Amino acid sequence: MEKYTLPKADLPKFIKEMIGKNRVYAPVENDNVTLFKEINTPSNINLDFINSKIPPKSLLFQQTETLFKFIPGTKGKIDPPDLDDKKTVIFGIRPCDAKSFAILDHAFTGDFNDPYFINHRKNTTLVGMSCTKPGINCFCTSFNDSPAQSKYLDILLTDIGDKYYVEVTNEKGKQLAKDLKKHMQPAKESDTEKKKEIEKKAIKQITRNQKTEGITEKLDKIFENPFWKEVANKCVSCGTCTYLCPTCHCFDIQDESTLTKGARVRVWDTCMNPEYTLHASKFNPRPARTNRVRNRIYHKYNYYPKNFDIIACVGCGRCIDLCPVNIDIIDVVTKAGEVKL
Amino acid sequence: MVDEKKLQDAVKKTVSRDDVKYVVGYEKGTYGFQVTPSFAYDPKDADKFIFSPLCVYNLAVFPMLEEKPPLRKDQEPDTRKIGVVVKGCDARAIVQILQEKGLNREDVVIIGIPCTGVVDPKKLQAQFPENGKNMDIKTGKDNFIITIDEKTHTIAQDKLLDEKCKHCEYPTPILYDILIGDEIKATKKEDYKEIEDLEKKSMKEKWEYWEKQFERCIRCYACRNACPLCYCKECMVDQLSPQWVRRSVNLSENTAWNLLRAFHLAGRCIGCGQCERSCPMDIPLMQLNKKIEKEIKELFDYIAGIDPEEKPLLAMFKPDDPEEFIL
Amino acid sequence: MKYKKWSEADKIIEKFEPNIIGFLCNWCSYAGADLAGTSRIQYPPNLKVIRVMCSGRVNPIFVINALQQGADGVLIGGCHPGDCHYERGNYLARRRMAVLKKLLEYAGIDPNRVRMTWVSAAEGNKFAEVVKQVTEDIRELGPMQHFKRDNTW
Repeated sequence: MEKYTLPKADLPKFIKEMIGKNRVYAPVENDNVTLFKEINTPSNINLDFINSKIPPKSLLFQQTETLFKFIPGTKGKIDPPDLDDKKTVIFGIRPCDAKSFAILDHAFTGDFNDPYFINHRKNTTLVGMSCTKPGINCFCTSFNDSPAQSKYLDILLTDIGDKYYVEVTNEKGKQLAKDLKKHMQPAKESDTEKKKEIEKKAIKQITRNQKTEGITEKLDKIFENPFWKEVANKCVSCGTCTYLCPTCHCFDIQDESTLTKGARVRVWDTCMNPEYTLHASKFNPRPARTNRVRNRIYHKYNYYPKNFDIIACVGCGRCIDLCPVNIDIIDVVTKAGEVKL
Repeated sequence: MVDEKKLQDAVKKTVSRDDVKYVVGYEKGTYGFQVTPSFAYDPKDADKFIFSPLCVYNLAVFPMLEEKPPLRKDQEPDTRKIGVVVKGCDARAIVQILQEKGLNREDVVIIGIPCTGVVDPKKLQAQFPENGKNMDIKTGKDNFIITIDEKTHTIAQDKLLDEKCKHCEYPTPILYDILIGDEIKATKKEDYKEIEDLEKKSMKEKWEYWEKQFERCIRCYACRNACPLCYCKECMVDQLSPQWVRRSVNLSENTAWNLLRAFHLAGRCIGCGQCERSCPMDIPLMQLNKKIEKEIKELFDYIAGIDPEEKPLLAMFKPDDPEEFIL
Repeated sequence: MKYKKWSEADKIIEKFEPNIIGFLCNWCSYAGADLAGTSRIQYPPNLKVIRVMCSGRVNPIFVINALQQGADGVLIGGCHPGDCHYERGNYLARRRMAVLKKLLEYAGIDPNRVRMTWVSAAEGNKFAEVVKQVTEDIRELGPMQHFKRDNTW
């Protein structure tokens, strides 16, 4: 790992350098909503944010993605997808969201390799920004992660007062850092200490904790428990939790066409919608809200760990913040662990 | 201020009835100021019921969410009632549903609470972003008394009050079986100032404003699902044949969705603000709903959700309806 | 004479020709349009007619969808009040369109893009006049760009 420091005043230059050769996405605030958007000048960036409303998964697994174009009819033809090879940098991504990409990798690679996701992923370098002020519903520490960990990032910046502490973790990060080195100085021992101190302080600010110990095995035993009815009673099936979850990755495929041409598009879908599992025969294997809410929890805490050995939750707290009826995944999972058999 | 003891007693009495399935009310949430819907299947469940200015949620949505799974041959349908704790605005939602025959009067037991106004959770979050252990709000004479970890703050009502409550004309439920406490006389008047300000802008400015809002929409349909009046078995956006609104998320489809959602609530929206509160992207949906509310008041002299016997606005007509726009 | 390519021809006709969708009721307006035709009354060819059984059949979703798919305006034609074949369809349509026009105006879309008219089966002349006026009005407003589907594929 290479360690540098970057004076705060030089950050705009640092970003400008990146914009020159890459497409750069960064948090931009608009009407009190912070989102990752493509930027052309460093001045648009807002770094005083807890986390973006829409997770940056939307940049790799886009909400609407054209899979291929076609011309319908007897003389029909299919245009293979044009995969865009432009190098991309996501600047200011939080360590938790970076972890979500590592989780999504399992879903989009393996038995079938999703060319669209893999292409975006391959061309994207993650330049993270540590959380120094976690939100009230952050709970990444419950998964032994830290708000300032560089594990899943290519480059991580941490605000240590008058400068940023820069960690370059891998080959991809080094590639990008090559051009940026002229703005940075090698880090001193004291800077490393300072970063650790700030990390500790940030961890201390995380007040909420989810008990995930043994949850995967426990969930196996309580599938039919009335507990799930209790949880799901107040759910209104709105789907906010899944759309804004950095690790949810379900999609729907639709053909959109006019008489002469069309495209097959992939759009986000949510298992909170009854239509999600509706069969053509009108039979629905998950007819009630109980089944659907349970599925969300099981997918994250049971099916995923069983298949890929990782819990599909990063503890960003978005679903808790934005649930209109306060279905709190920390509370639900903790209580599920306490259900008496 | 509502006597919570009285509320809990009323709920207990209701739940004990054989013909009542459950009562839905409010309880304290899991963090911060959160308050969450609570279900009492048993009299002892009622002990956790509360009512405070944080109880902003419209619970009238829950009777509409009841799933009715197909019955086996020898099964009897469950015809038990559902009890709902309602504020003035929520009661209008129930009246409107009754008017449309979405529910029968005997399907619900309405426990009405005269309400002096609830807070806007977003404003509250902005003022007090911290997370304490003991967080509560009480309504004072003309302020809110906020407790966070034993510390109390007082703040003027205007600063926290939800927009809808500033112009509330029906603080007391107009339909109820049990009323907790005394009726409150309406003192406020709807003025539609915000709507009029936007109306005055030029076409271009208005579109630029809404374009920015609609562009953000992620079409999660939280606005629809949280709304007590959006209870169609199949929503028009879920239809596949014909598919009126495409699934892809772009300005065109987002605009179509948002305009049609607002239109489908014309003469039905009772202004509880649930859609806007549920919207994760903070789109000011109430500005659309209020605009329609204002127009139908002017055009047809009609107010939604005040008379269960009246016919729905768009299912009736008067021969002398305004028609100056017709060529 | 030199043969002109289509693209060049396009440039010559720079004047904007509005594309208007007409939902005409089977019993009155459609028959009115028919009468205008058989009486050889000239009216602009910009109107593309879709016959519906009653103006009350016109769901606002039709209007929004037409605007999405590239119509610059929509004209809805029904029977005169009291003449509806189904007694009340046109009255219901009138209420609906009154609200829809207000909503569109509020969203910044000129309400003149959505017009409604009463034309009876005997009013061929009126029909032609209405189409002329609507076409002129929409020509003035210019192409509908607000939320047209861009079909980038």
